[in-house]
Formats: sequence, C-alpha cells, structure tokens
Amino acid sequence: MSVFMQQFANGVNLAALLLIAALGLVIIFGLMNVINMAHGELIMIGAYATYFANTVLDLPFWVAMIIAFLVSAAVGILIEVIIIKRLYSKPTETLLATFALSIIFVQLVQLIFSPENKYVAMPIKGILKVGTVSIPNYNLFIIAVALSILAMTGVLLLKTKFGKKMRAVTQNRQMVECLGIATSKVDTWTFAYGAGLAGLAGAVIAPINSVSPTMGGAYLTDSFMTVVVGGVQSIIGTALGSGIVGESRTILAGFSNEVFAKILVFLIIIVIIRFKPEGLFARERR
Amino acid sequence: MTKLKKIPINRWIDLGVLLFLLVFPLFTQTFRVEMMGRFIAYVIFAISLDLLWGYTGLMSLGHAVLFGMGGYMIALCYSMQGGVPAFMTREGINAIPSFLVPLQTPAVAVIAGLLLPVVFAFILGNFLFRSKVSGVFFSIITLALAQIFKDFIINQQKFTNGFNGLQGVPRFPIDGIPLSKIHYYYIILLVAVLVYLFCLWLTKSRFGKVAVSIRENEARLGFLGYKPANFKIVIYMISGFIAGLAGILYTPMTNGITPEDVSVVASTAVLVWLAVGGRGNLTGAIVGTLCVNWAQSLLSESFADYWQLILGIILLAIVFFIPNGLVGKVIEKQHNFRINRKRVKITAFNRSMKGAEV
Repeated sequence: MSVFMQQFANGVNLAALLLIAALGLVIIFGLMNVINMAHGELIMIGAYATYFANTVLDLPFWVAMIIAFLVSAAVGILIEVIIIKRLYSKPTETLLATFALSIIFVQLVQLIFSPENKYVAMPIKGILKVGTVSIPNYNLFIIAVALSILAMTGVLLLKTKFGKKMRAVTQNRQMVECLGIATSKVDTWTFAYGAGLAGLAGAVIAPINSVSPTMGGAYLTDSFMTVVVGGVQSIIGTALGSGIVGESRTILAGFSNEVFAKILVFLIIIVIIRFKPEGLFARERR
Repeated sequence: MTKLKKIPINRWIDLGVLLFLLVFPLFTQTFRVEMMGRFIAYVIFAISLDLLWGYTGLMSLGHAVLFGMGGYMIALCYSMQGGVPAFMTREGINAIPSFLVPLQTPAVAVIAGLLLPVVFAFILGNFLFRSKVSGVFFSIITLALAQIFKDFIINQQKFTNGFNGLQGVPRFPIDGIPLSKIHYYYIILLVAVLVYLFCLWLTKSRFGKVAVSIRENEARLGFLGYKPANFKIVIYMISGFIAGLAGILYTPMTNGITPEDVSVVASTAVLVWLAVGGRGNLTGAIVGTLCVNWAQSLLSESFADYWQLILGIILLAIVFFIPNGLVGKVIEKQHNFRINRKRVKITAFNRSMKGAEV
C-alpha cells in the first residue's frame, strides 16, 4: 500500500508537469487549431532561458521563470507572424513548416549552447514526509504552479475581454471580423500566450530534468496525448486528462516498468480515440 | 509518337533515374555502391509513405516503425544463426526462446518481416480510421507510436541488444557465402523497380483513384456509398507491407539496424524526402530520397554541425515556395507548357480559318 501511495504522489507530480506542458498546446492546438510541432522546442527554449537567467546570470528562480515565459512568447510571436499566419487552413503545410522550425531550433540551440546537458539548481530544497510517503517540496511547488496557471488561463479565457475575443474567434471568425475586431492580432497574442506557457513549462522542468537541445521531443508527444485524452477544446478536460495520463503512467510503472506503462497508456489512448473521439471530458458543442 | 508525347514528364525522369542506377556501380567504388544501395532501400520506403501520404493524404509521422519491424525480423534471424547470441546470454538467456525459434529460418523471418507491419497496420488502422477523428490525430498517434516503439526496442535489451542494435547482418548468404555488394545492389534495385511498377498500377487502378478521392474529399466519397475507412485500412496495410520490405532489404546492406532507424527522427526524415521531391506522383519519392540523401552524405562530411540546420531551412523554403515539391513543380511546368502550346495551335487554326473565309 505504501508503494501505491508513493506512486500516487509521484503521479500527481507527473500530472502537474503534463498539465503545464499541455496547457500551452491546448491553447494553440485546441483553440487555434494549429498543429505546432515546435511546441516541444518552445519548452526547450524556456528551459534554456531559465538556465541562462538562473545559472549564468545568477538571477532568482522566479525571475528566470518570468524570463522563460517572455522569451518563449516572443519566439511564439515570431513564429506566428512569419510562418503560421501564411499557412492557416493548410494543416499539412503547417505541420511541415513547424517541424522544420523544430529542427532549426534544436540545431541553433546546439550551436549556441553546445550539445552538452545543462543543469539548473533546485530552487526549493527539502522533503515533506506524510506517513510513509515522501514528497520533495519542489514537487509541491510544481503542483502549485500548475494549478495557478490553470486558474490564470481560466480567468484569462472567461473573465477578460481578450479571452472573450479569443473564444469568439474560435467559434466564428467571420462574425468577429464583421464586428470590427482585428482577428489577426488576436491570433498572434493567443499563440504568444500558448508559447509563453510552453516556456514556463520549460522553466519548471529545468531543475528536475537536465536541459538539452533534444529534450522537447518527448514533451511534444506527451502533451499531445494529454490533450487528446482530455478533449481537444477543453481546458478542464486537459487538466483531468493530465491527471489520468500522469497517474496511470506512474502507477503502472510502479508495477511493471516505465516503458510498459507508456505502452499501456498509449493503448488506452487509442481505445479512447476509437470510442470517445472528442475526448473524455469534452462538452457538447453546438 | 503521339502516344509517347502523352506520357507525363515524370515517367521519363523515372526512366532516367533507373538507367543511372543501373550503370552506377560500373563507375564507382564499392562503398559508394553500398551507399546507393541503402538509398534505393530508402526509395522503397519513401514510396510506401507516398502511397499513404501523397495519394491518400494520411500523414504518418511514425512510418519508420513499420520499416523497423521488417528490419528487426531479418536482423534477429541472422543474429541467432550461430546459436544463442551474446546479448541474450548476457541477460541470462541460455536457450533461444521458443517464440523466436521459427525466426531462425531466413524465409520465415522475411515472411514475418512482411506480415508483422501488415497486421500491425490492420489493427491500428481499425482503431484510428473507424473513429470520427480528423486526419491530424493519425499523425499525432503515429508520432507517439514512433517514440514508444524506439523506447520498447531499447527496453527489450535481451531480445534486441538495446541501444546498440543488431549488427553483423550478412547479405542473405547462400551456402554460407553472403552476396557481394554489387549483386545485392542489383537485387535491391530489381525489387525497387517491381515495387514501383506495382504502385504505378495500383494508383492508376480504380482502387488508387478512390484513395486519391479520400485525400480530396472524404465526405463526398462517403455520400457516393464508399466506405473510406476500409480503403484507408487497406492502403495502410499495403504501405506497411512495402515499408517492411524496405526494412528487410535495408538491414543487410548497412550490416545492421539500430533503434535510431525506427525512431521519430527516421520517420520524419522520410517525410522530408517526400516533401522535397513532391507527393502523389511516385517520382517525387524517388528524386527526393536520392537528392536529400546524396546531399546529406556530401554535406554532413564537411558541415556535420550544420546539416540539420540546412535541412530545416530547405524544408521551410519548400513549404513556402514550392509546396508541391521539385517534381510537382516540373509536372506543373509541363502541364502549363502543353496548355499554352495547345492554345497557340488553336489560335493559329482559328486565324487560318478566318483567312479562308475572306
């Protein structure tokens, strides 16, 4: 039982990480319907920004997090304006172009920072013990960050004027244009926000995993899987999806090994796609 | 003569490439022959993806998995020829496990390498294509598949030698003597030609036309009473068969197979070849594969650090400036040229008619 509880605690941690990584994707993929293959690289860029700010410039970790958000958001704006804007409603071309970008980013970062792994010092040390279960304090921090990003995104989408515009554009672009709103600008800022969230994910991941140019690939598929489970257009769905993927993966890994857990979760996702293609928690949409 | 003129220009390109590949070994060193043999195996692989992506519009981001299934079957077969291989004994396996015993016969391994991708494509296709999700999900799932398959191969160290892959695969020895590189090169080329002819026939057939209609307008095809899902599954299976075949041919030429050959990187590489060459006309698969790989082997010798960067920029440029790929552009040019020539003829004819009236 104690093993199970420990795995459960680890699962919450993985779920929080997946949620942070996937939230940016659900904005870009779910709301804007853009398949961004460079999402993992935006996470990677955020991680490098954190490394540069925290380890090289010796700034405090929370400043590094903000910098990571801003850097990735800036890169996101560039990607949107230069590339994606020209390819809307061409999914294959978008996929290829963003894939090309991901190759370019990996190589550029490798040239700038060398291919060796970089490390970011753990900003919060110590372990919390609850009975037999031990949880590093940093994991609690990750969970807190995940929940606050979730809340922040929810407030942004539901309570602000910009969020209203964002949702309106996804529902009926032409109508919104008729009302005199520059949809093109809304697209750019939506993409920038999604990219910024990816950067934030990179910042949070940096202290627990080593920072390397190729770290993005794994997060790309994991976030896509999470989004698919939860329902492409639902933020809450993504939160629950990350819970399911994170928990089932760590709990299964506790009983067999990590790769088999991944395979099992993959199979579960395929079954979900077959029988519940809109995701487990998608609301009925008109 | 008039019939000859109607042949699209890309078929002449195909013929030219074939002639070049036929005489290529006569004028070059053996290691170049080996390299080109590898590229031809890649061409077969690219053709298999062209059927799926170029003709049917299903973009697989994990096609190397099917390629790798073929490759790993044949590699496992030959690594077990001399009794229990070292990587198994290291893990404490002292007899070949019963489920691997049949694989010791090369013929069985070849059949397994061809059937495994087909069965796999059938199962995965049944789940993905019968669902009401858009094509993007197919891409995402196959991407995840490629990642997981590589992890799986590395994890199953006792059967696959993990990270190092299976090395020392001979070129289909007959009585213990492997085929020479030149002979094996021509065998790969022959198979490639057969695959090409089969795909040409398939895409010209009614079946192929339905496949293209899936790409163009799936909903309308449904209204006409076809079941697009069935066609997609069958195309995926055929594509898997050819990809497995490519893997079987590739592995002995390069002497072995590693998890890198089945990874996301390998899967996306073939996508790049197709994007550069052009999709949906078979020639693009051939030209794109040969050009990109040739450039890669030339450039990565001198600019190893920059190759990926160059590749990314090329891909970006292709997407923006020639979205139909190099061969697509040539076909388009020829089409426009023919239309123009016809227009000139018609205007000349009209003018002469007017002259006659006066």
